[in-house]
Amino acid sequence: MPRITVDGVELEASAGRTVLQALDDAGLLMNGIEIPHYCWHPKLSIDGSCRLCQVEIEGFPKLQIACNTPVKDGMVIHTRTERVKRAREGVMELLLIHHPLDCPICDKAGECKLQDYAFDHGLKHARTVEPRRARKKRVDLGPTIVFDQERCILCRRCVRFCREVPKTGELGVFDRGERSVLETFPGLRLENDYSMNVADICPVGALTTKDFRFKIRVWFLDDVPGVCTGCANGCNVFLGTASNKVYRYLPRRNDAVNETWICDAGRLSYKEIGAADRLRESAVRGEGGRLEPASAQDAIARAAARIRRLVDSKGPGVVAGLASAHATNEDLAVFKRLLEALGTESAGLVTLRGAADALLVKEEKAANATGARALGFGDPRPLLERIRGGGIDALLVMGHDVLDPSLLGGTEALARLDTVVLMDTHHSDLERVAHVVLPARHAAEKLGTLTNFAGRVQRVRPAVEPAWEALAEAEILWRLGVALGLAGFEGRFDARAVSKELGQRWPAFAGIDWESVGDDGRLLATLVAGGSPAAGTR
Amino acid sequence: MVISAETRAKIETEIAKVPQKRGALLAALHLVQAELGHVSLETARELAELFELKPVDVQEVVTFYNMFYDRPQGRHHAYVCTNLPCSLRGARTLLKQLEAHLGVEAGETTADGRITLGHEECLGACAYAPMMRVDGVYHEDLDLAKAKQILDGLK
Amino acid sequence: MGLKVPYVTSYLSEHFADDEFGALQGYERRGGYQAAKKALREMTPEQVIELVKTSGLQGRGGAGFPTGMKWSFMPKDTPKPKYLVCNADESEPGSFKDRILLERGPHQLLEGILIGAWATGASRTFVYVRGEYAQPAAELQRAVDEAYAKGYLGRNVMRSGFQHDVLVVRGAGAYICGEETGLLESLEGKKGQPRKKPPFPAEYGAFGMPTTVNNVETFCHVPHIVSKGADWFRSFGTEKSPGSTIFGVSGHVVRPGLYELPLGTRLDEIVFEHAGGVPDGRKIKGVIPGGMSMPILPAGQLDVPMANEFLRERKTMLGTGGVMVMDETTCMVRVGCVIGWFFRDESCGQCTQCREGTGWIHKIMQRIERGAGTREDLDLLLDIASKMEGQTICAFADAAAWPVQGLLRHFREDFETHVRERKCPFPASFEL
Repeated sequence: MPRITVDGVELEASAGRTVLQALDDAGLLMNGIEIPHYCWHPKLSIDGSCRLCQVEIEGFPKLQIACNTPVKDGMVIHTRTERVKRAREGVMELLLIHHPLDCPICDKAGECKLQDYAFDHGLKHARTVEPRRARKKRVDLGPTIVFDQERCILCRRCVRFCREVPKTGELGVFDRGERSVLETFPGLRLENDYSMNVADICPVGALTTKDFRFKIRVWFLDDVPGVCTGCANGCNVFLGTASNKVYRYLPRRNDAVNETWICDAGRLSYKEIGAADRLRESAVRGEGGRLEPASAQDAIARAAARIRRLVDSKGPGVVAGLASAHATNEDLAVFKRLLEALGTESAGLVTLRGAADALLVKEEKAANATGARALGFGDPRPLLERIRGGGIDALLVMGHDVLDPSLLGGTEALARLDTVVLMDTHHSDLERVAHVVLPARHAAEKLGTLTNFAGRVQRVRPAVEPAWEALAEAEILWRLGVALGLAGFEGRFDARAVSKELGQRWPAFAGIDWESVGDDGRLLATLVAGGSPAAGTR
Repeated sequence: MVISAETRAKIETEIAKVPQKRGALLAALHLVQAELGHVSLETARELAELFELKPVDVQEVVTFYNMFYDRPQGRHHAYVCTNLPCSLRGARTLLKQLEAHLGVEAGETTADGRITLGHEECLGACAYAPMMRVDGVYHEDLDLAKAKQILDGLK
Repeated sequence: MGLKVPYVTSYLSEHFADDEFGALQGYERRGGYQAAKKALREMTPEQVIELVKTSGLQGRGGAGFPTGMKWSFMPKDTPKPKYLVCNADESEPGSFKDRILLERGPHQLLEGILIGAWATGASRTFVYVRGEYAQPAAELQRAVDEAYAKGYLGRNVMRSGFQHDVLVVRGAGAYICGEETGLLESLEGKKGQPRKKPPFPAEYGAFGMPTTVNNVETFCHVPHIVSKGADWFRSFGTEKSPGSTIFGVSGHVVRPGLYELPLGTRLDEIVFEHAGGVPDGRKIKGVIPGGMSMPILPAGQLDVPMANEFLRERKTMLGTGGVMVMDETTCMVRVGCVIGWFFRDESCGQCTQCREGTGWIHKIMQRIERGAGTREDLDLLLDIASKMEGQTICAFADAAAWPVQGLLRHFREDFETHVRERKCPFPASFEL
């Protein structure tokens, strides 16, 4: 293992890595050791053309680019010398001679590396009197991206991204020299399932997403770490929030999960948090058969009363639970505990499937199917059969995915039930047959953990607070347990305490809770295969 | 299909000569241009298919090199070298005179589509300046009269 | 129209006036291919490399790297095929020697290539001829066909068991393809954008295979070295720069043309004695000694031997030996504009400093020429040049920076006069 010294800091590097890669591996790049760079990106091939990462290496007469210089044992690198400073100043000045300097109307302002590095490393005045290059503005590159040719610094990250990651290769640089310009082939568009990543990796304001453009100044946003809930991959994200609203998801780097990427569908799934069809009001079915608004407390009390009546008259076997793979490990652990305390074994897991790809997108279209299986929820079909056959009278159901044609295909089978208690984030037809409706919290609104397809437990935290009375399913079920007077449901709901109990009750979760998984997540002690929905680990 | 079967066959021959298919792309572009005069978007698409590339990869190459044209050209090409050795010997003056003679500016094509006039960087005829390259043939030690005569002889 | 053979000849160009020399039979009649036979039959590859090292042959493409050493970088024990590339993308302004070497002595080049291939173990040579050189490429192709027919190329070269193929490929008009890794990219059907190093071509070259790139003239010296020995070769030129080279003289001289002379021949001797000096009794103002990338020398500094060890002392280099002569009427700001435009036009556009710096330099040059320059512009030019020099993937940015530094080093007065008088003070200069 070669040892190198950077600005007096000694570190061990892996053989075959370049200086910048070694610093990135060690977590020191831009985190103690500042080597500004544009074209280099940790997850793309090395380009070596922006020349901003030049450093002084002892024994080399010329400055060397840190991105492409392989580490050698004993290498001594300096990043803060006068020569390095001057070189950076040169690159910055030359990058800016044609830049439109339109920061006031540029959507990237505030998270623009041209701004940041010009401030940190550039000259403080312009020396050019030549007219700036006029180029195409507001180019409609495709369904998701708008392009400003004048702002482009030709780092070609986006070009390499399209060639190397989705392998769609829509972008290229035409012509040469100062006439070089980023383009798509005339008539073809930048259109792939990962297209919006180009806006993230664009270090300047050249590529912006149509979705986020001009919605808000980025400096008003808080970046809350979280997890995308679009599929079982569990891509790590930052939720950009302001005034209790989520404005965007940005991929958050996690080399074990999503590297630095996210699919477009997942990225846009933030919209479901603030969607108009969010379920905002608890309700109970009144005497006239209509749903009437109620407080969550009253609704839970009503649900408890109906379940109690059935259990007392027919026994606990007529009560069943349908878990959702959208719910957190904590929600599901409480659900499991409640069903067990009631004495019923009727339970199933609803998770919808769809198309997967070779990159990130997984077949299961929910974030926590693996966690649900680890917590003992399995194939829902036997339960659905019993429902259809009249063997079930009360159903506690999370979400409405069960209405999907692949499962019930409608509300008919549920209409016959005595009691349906629905916990959901969004409106659906399921309300028509529900007797108690309880608004639930989205993963962006609660504290908990989600287990991705590979068994990595990752945490979410409240990034926004619903403006209406909504409870996490764990809390709804907890309060229900309390109202039913069940053993093990004493005192107030405490999300962290529930999380702490995961590992105690479920061997797969040994050593895992909200605190311990950190922001990078942690693998389950044992993994439950996604293909065998009935298998549980107990 | 805009690229003829004959040209396609020639391209296949070029491909067979190189270790990797793409290595014949420049040769293929020369061939299609010899047939079609320029590389249209349609031609670029067809080449991309032939070479198992994205159209944008072909277009990058077309736009990078001086000798490939992405738009229609005159029937004849006349390029005056205006690099330093030629300029020292009056090449830029000659080019201006030829612009006046043909009624176009460098880079333009005469209205009748006969000649595209242009200037080029050093063509390796420095001692024989001024010079021009007409349809690939070098004409050296020129003066205005000789140059006009050459251009006027083009049909 | 016909290609003019050198006014002064030596071993490379001795027979160029002879039309038969371009044909295989004529070439052999004058001793051609004897060196290749000797190398393939009597010498090991190591011995050839050693001989070329001892001869002191330096690359004639501009950088002057020792050829024998370059050949020795090729890996010995690799399962991959190894390639040679002959750089015939001659496009350095002021340079036109490779063109005549291709047209008048194609077999001399092929023989050099064969010996180089034997020495490096290369199975193929790609000769990359600039796209504009249609005629030279055709001549070379004809020679290649002859060599195949005669068994000098192909599966069993000269019945030695050695296999070698030569492919002539055409460029398409981009100066940067003369840079060896830009050339490799172009050879692979891509934009000619130079590659970052590492990896170096000897490790990862054409199509990913170990590759050595040599200039046309470099190869042409090799048969002579193999035939007549290192000592004979070293009898030409200087101790550090042995051999002859073909100088191209252009610009304001009585006899512009090619001159094959020993390295170390004095620049003033080339300009005045061989090329006849400036016509019409005008005085000389400056000379670019080695192609446009090399810094200019003023009239008073022409007493310099044309070899890098001497030219470096005058802050310039031999480059490709393209000597451009400018008389007293010449406006050096206009020269700066022409040079500036060339590098602006030909930059490949990858590296920031080169892409942006070349354009900026040209615009400032133009502004000064128009009479709109300021005193600060002069230092700004030097500052931009210093920010480009030595900081990019390839030497193109250096090549764009050095001439600017040369012009301001020796002809700052021209620039200052433009600024002071707010116009160009050289009405008789060549027209822009």
